Amino acid sequence: MKASPEWLTAGDRDSEALAAMLAPCSAEALELETLAAESRAITLRRFGRTMSLYAPLYLSNYCSSGCEYCGFASDRTTLRRRLEPDELDRELLAMKRLGISDVLLLTGERTGQAGFDYLQRSVERAARHMQRVTVETFPMSVAEYRALADCGCTGVTIYQETYDRGRYEAIHRWGPKKDFVQRLETPARALEGGMKTVGLGVLLGLAEPVADALSLYRHVRHLGRTWWRAGLSVSFPRIRPQTGGYQPPFPVGDRFLARMIFAFRIALPDVDLVLSTRESAAFRDGMAGLAITRMSIASRTTVGGYDEPDRAEPGQFDISDDRSAEAFCAALRARNIEPVFKNWEPAYNGPSGVSLQDDVVSEAHPCP
Amino acid sequence: MITIKLNGKDQTLPDASVVNDLFLILGAEGKNVAVVVNETIVRPENRSSHRLQDGDQVEILAFAGGG
Amino acid sequence: MDVYHLGPQAFSSRLILGTGKFSSASVMLEAVKASGAELVTVALRRFNREQAGDDLFGPLSAIKGITLMPNTSGASTAAEAVRAARIARELSGSPFIKVEIHPNPQHLMPDPIETYEASRILAKEGFLVMPYIAADPVLAKRLEDVGCASVMPLGSAIGSGQGLGTADMLGIIIRESGIPVIVDAGLRSPSEAAAAMEMGCAAVLVNSAVAAAGNPVEMAAAFAGAVIAGRKAFHAGLMPQSRTAVATSPLTGFLGTNA
Repeated sequence: MKASPEWLTAGDRDSEALAAMLAPCSAEALELETLAAESRAITLRRFGRTMSLYAPLYLSNYCSSGCEYCGFASDRTTLRRRLEPDELDRELLAMKRLGISDVLLLTGERTGQAGFDYLQRSVERAARHMQRVTVETFPMSVAEYRALADCGCTGVTIYQETYDRGRYEAIHRWGPKKDFVQRLETPARALEGGMKTVGLGVLLGLAEPVADALSLYRHVRHLGRTWWRAGLSVSFPRIRPQTGGYQPPFPVGDRFLARMIFAFRIALPDVDLVLSTRESAAFRDGMAGLAITRMSIASRTTVGGYDEPDRAEPGQFDISDDRSAEAFCAALRARNIEPVFKNWEPAYNGPSGVSLQDDVVSEAHPCP
Repeated sequence: MITIKLNGKDQTLPDASVVNDLFLILGAEGKNVAVVVNETIVRPENRSSHRLQDGDQVEILAFAGGG
Repeated sequence: MDVYHLGPQAFSSRLILGTGKFSSASVMLEAVKASGAELVTVALRRFNREQAGDDLFGPLSAIKGITLMPNTSGASTAAEAVRAARIARELSGSPFIKVEIHPNPQHLMPDPIETYEASRILAKEGFLVMPYIAADPVLAKRLEDVGCASVMPLGSAIGSGQGLGTADMLGIIIRESGIPVIVDAGLRSPSEAAAAMEMGCAAVLVNSAVAAAGNPVEMAAAFAGAVIAGRKAFHAGLMPQSRTAVATSPLTGFLGTNA
């Protein structure tokens, strides 16, 4: 079994500062209000009064993994299906009508029904309609990521779920996702393949959250140092009710989640922090302007769901903020925050890190 | 007689002079110096045999103070 | 043992001393000893009968535990720096080379493009390349990518004694770098060296601040102590600055009271 890398296991000065902010019980605990004020000031300075918006689109719910907590795990009785090309076009057009131009395409683990070729064709199609296409799917090889970048995918979201290796191996009961280190190395492979952004996160509720937050932070810092051209984002998903009735053993309350988000903003002033519609309208509205810079809107967690929103079938998890795109944007504007639908120009699509190879100075003649 | 450039200045030498002969002129005997003749480094073991030609550009360099 | 690595070599002294601008070679040598430096820079010059004392190789090598780091000062292009580096290696036997390329002899600001090119070539040839650069975070990462052993951003203009004028940029470079960051140039006082070490840089390089001090040998010792103090402070971890809430109405009122 491959050992966990040193950047994850070794302590470091940076994460000590984060640990101090995350310790809500210590006598010298920094007041949540104080963290909120600092986080708000940093967010305003670095990102202004804007919120970049995206929407998820589930391409398929076929899955080969047995993640205890997931509504699409392969032992669930959920009806399995995938979007066919004409359906995908209809979904994308329906999303465009809502104003969405930044789409996150999702699948389960790699299966025969929804494998790389299917994903690549879907990305190609989505890139014809959308300004920005990113994926949250199965781990791929460097060559596969490069091929996706070539057809218009600019980013990859891949959560480690938990950095507690023991917990990780216990809850990922079978399937390719069981390999902890293989998953850990996936964001680096995506960046090596030319992805411009990667999104990381832990699924809060699965393991002790402070330790997971610190490991997540180390992962972000490690990637930032190694892949210094990459855009990085961090998401804060909390386990939501879903098919299978999984009860999280480490439930995370609103106040800790807020503290974690403020602490990440202070520790990572330049990184996009993402909050999805898993969270309530009140929580999302409250966090807008304080720390979060990117949010999903009008989300569906079923396969498709934008073209025929009334089709009731179980999604991957239940959403909490079910406001329409219009209502959500109105709420942002009421807080003096401008919703941004276009945050990317597809003219810049293509693998990153490829620069002109023409040598500026020819190699000097070696002395004998 | 031949004329070479030694550290940027003209220097006249007898025919068949070798690199080592220059050390006497510069007062560099026993010093730790690098010798470059026409952009090519001449190692210590070759300095007694390396014959200088008319028009050679010779640099004799040492370490001095620097930051 | 608190050491830092340049390529495969470990150093415990985090003060690197330049050997220029001293009133005499003997004062310089005493200052080197007082500084405890393990790495000292030297420059390549035409040998000159009038300054026969210029051959510093012998006397510096005689000091125990000293590694020489020749620089390429005088070079104004990558090609000149590469040539100088090869000659310097011939002379010193040291794999270290401080790449220093300044096309303008007035302000001596390093040329980023020539420095990058020279560093790339020299790293490929097996040198431990130590480029002297402006405090530019992107350039620092580009140099790390081509295999430099460290980056040496300037604190302020060389010889200016303006201290850590580039502190904000240095902070970014230190935070993002995967190789040792050595603050080079511009320091005037030991307290500035300590401040640089507290920020987390791996070492500092000083020359003028010692050479032009009233008593260079004493100042070398003062820098040695300051660098040790700054490093210890970094290692110990500074106390957090106070965070003061400014909100007049609560920002987190939307949160429930559950933990």
